Amino acid sequence: MRRPMYEGPQKGPLRASRVSTLCLGLSVVLLLTVVFSLMTGTASVTWSQWWRLLTGNADASDPSRLVILKIRLPRVILAGLSGFALSLGGVVFQALLRNPLADPFILGVSSGSAFGAVVGIMLGFSYNLGIPVMAFGGALLTMYVVLFIGQKKMGMESSTILLSGVIINAFFTAIIMFFIATATDDRLHSMLFWLYGDLSQSRFAESALTGPAVLAGFVILYCFARHLNVMTAGEDAALHLGVDVRKAKLVCFLVVSLVVGLVVAFSGLIGFVGLVIPHLARMAFGSDHRLLMPVSALGGAIFLIAADTLARTVISPSELPVGVITAFLGAPFFIYLLRKRGSRWTGS
Amino acid sequence: MNGDIKRHRGYAAAFLLACCILLIKAAPCPGAVFYDALNRSVDLPDTPRRIVALAPNLTEILYYLGLGDRVVGVTRYSYYPTDALKKPKVGSYIQVNVERILELKPDLVIGTVDGNRRGAVKLLEQAGIPVYVVNPRTVKETIATIAAIADVCGVGERGHHLASQLKGRVEKIVKRTSALKKPLVFLQINIRPIMTVNSHTIHHDVIRLAGGRNMAGNLDVFYPTIGIEEVLKRRPEVIIISSMERGGRFEREKENWYKWPSIPAVRKKQVYLVDSDLLDRPSPRIVDGLEMMARLIHPEVQWDSGPEKKRGGAVK
Repeated sequence: MRRPMYEGPQKGPLRASRVSTLCLGLSVVLLLTVVFSLMTGTASVTWSQWWRLLTGNADASDPSRLVILKIRLPRVILAGLSGFALSLGGVVFQALLRNPLADPFILGVSSGSAFGAVVGIMLGFSYNLGIPVMAFGGALLTMYVVLFIGQKKMGMESSTILLSGVIINAFFTAIIMFFIATATDDRLHSMLFWLYGDLSQSRFAESALTGPAVLAGFVILYCFARHLNVMTAGEDAALHLGVDVRKAKLVCFLVVSLVVGLVVAFSGLIGFVGLVIPHLARMAFGSDHRLLMPVSALGGAIFLIAADTLARTVISPSELPVGVITAFLGAPFFIYLLRKRGSRWTGS
Repeated sequence: MNGDIKRHRGYAAAFLLACCILLIKAAPCPGAVFYDALNRSVDLPDTPRRIVALAPNLTEILYYLGLGDRVVGVTRYSYYPTDALKKPKVGSYIQVNVERILELKPDLVIGTVDGNRRGAVKLLEQAGIPVYVVNPRTVKETIATIAAIADVCGVGERGHHLASQLKGRVEKIVKRTSALKKPLVFLQINIRPIMTVNSHTIHHDVIRLAGGRNMAGNLDVFYPTIGIEEVLKRRPEVIIISSMERGGRFEREKENWYKWPSIPAVRKKQVYLVDSDLLDRPSPRIVDGLEMMARLIHPEVQWDSGPEKKRGGAVK
């Protein structure tokens, strides 16, 4: 028997004004985080330099202009987009699989796309198109495997999901290590960094590709917010209410795979964002997806920008991969969830 | 017809360009254009005074050329000469911190092809900082790189003198070892797992010049991981363990090899421990490494007990 979904503190029907107020509030927080992140770093930028930059009086070779616009800004934007996409992916996976522990990283979808990307690198594909496409393919393949393992008969219990995730992660990580060990050139050496998520090589070109895709993905997924609400109550109930479950599932899986694949191709394996943020959002605002999706996505962006700021300043002038920071914060939270809630959806 | 005109235009353009280049070359300006290992043109208006070195071996080269006081930034593990420890750090050579470099306001950054990522080089270029990239992969190329860096830094004469000294030392070694029998050398660069080097590495070049044959030269991977069985099968005549570690574990590893008397190197007691810095870094010290290697591979030769002896870092 399916247990009821965790409802959270939300009571009564959801009003549109509540969604817009919360999103506006979070957008302000996001903006503040971006500003803070732009102001933080190894090089110090004085207030007068900021003033010249904001008024457009800084000349092109001004180092502070370069630090802000070419080093920090592309990185902050890509971190924000990645956090946005990973957190959104977490929410959708959790609803589709009716499981609170589903997340692109834990399910192995991220390592699947990393595998695709590595194959793309080995085949000499271009970073701007070939490798993201391969990452998308890897994500789709992994999704298919996850769904295959967790077919209805066995039920999508947490243990099944976690186990399949562990297996898939181990398998793809092994393949990636195999490629690294047999690589005859230095091309793949930077991949070790990349396995823990690395935003240090961010360029605007990547955000220009990821940005529209992630936003379009969000719009499409948001159209299915009501479907997701119904489906979390159980697929039978959804069918009775006239929801085309198959179609909704297919579209959602495709869109999430695309978005996650893109993010992994450009920023590597960043774990736990899709787990921590949707959970906090659900605890605070309830589980109506019309609210949960935008709130989680914005929260994910804020979280990852903050984590990356930490990653590049904490042992300055050296850097940590951002995945190390998110894992430090996320893994204890994951254990806490397991202990507190067990493997069930139900509220505490 | 049309094509003819086009071709003529092409010639004319080429001619004009050539004139311009000649004019620039002939003009009495202190600046100069250099071409680096990636064939990028590096424009230096003045002699560089504030230099950042993006790899430990580049730091060593700059100090060797007597330019230590011009070095304003180095990467992690730049601990030779010890004066380099006092210089500001700009991250590791794989992940350099561009913000930190910009803060140091260098007028020249020297990088390497394999370690430093291209993104960093591009950013520095956008900031108007000239980046000179080098790519020494053999002993010969290392010496050429030293001379090239000297040219770029405006100490060409000194650089070429030092380079020809190094070249002389290399030639001396090659002359003494070339006619000798070439023993099979196993260079172990990592203890657990056992790792060695293939023919695309500078270590291979050092073994070759020192009059040895690299046991693993034919493998595909640059720094392959191999098993003990493979070593037993290949029967090296000299084992050289190169490590950054000192003391117990390092010594124990030598003892470990003595368990396998079927290896000729063990029977002949030719298992040595050496300082990896002398072999891993394409810096002037690579010649010290070569001299040390030649002595270890060919103990039968009467090596003159000149000043070279004390440079070797080998422990028997």
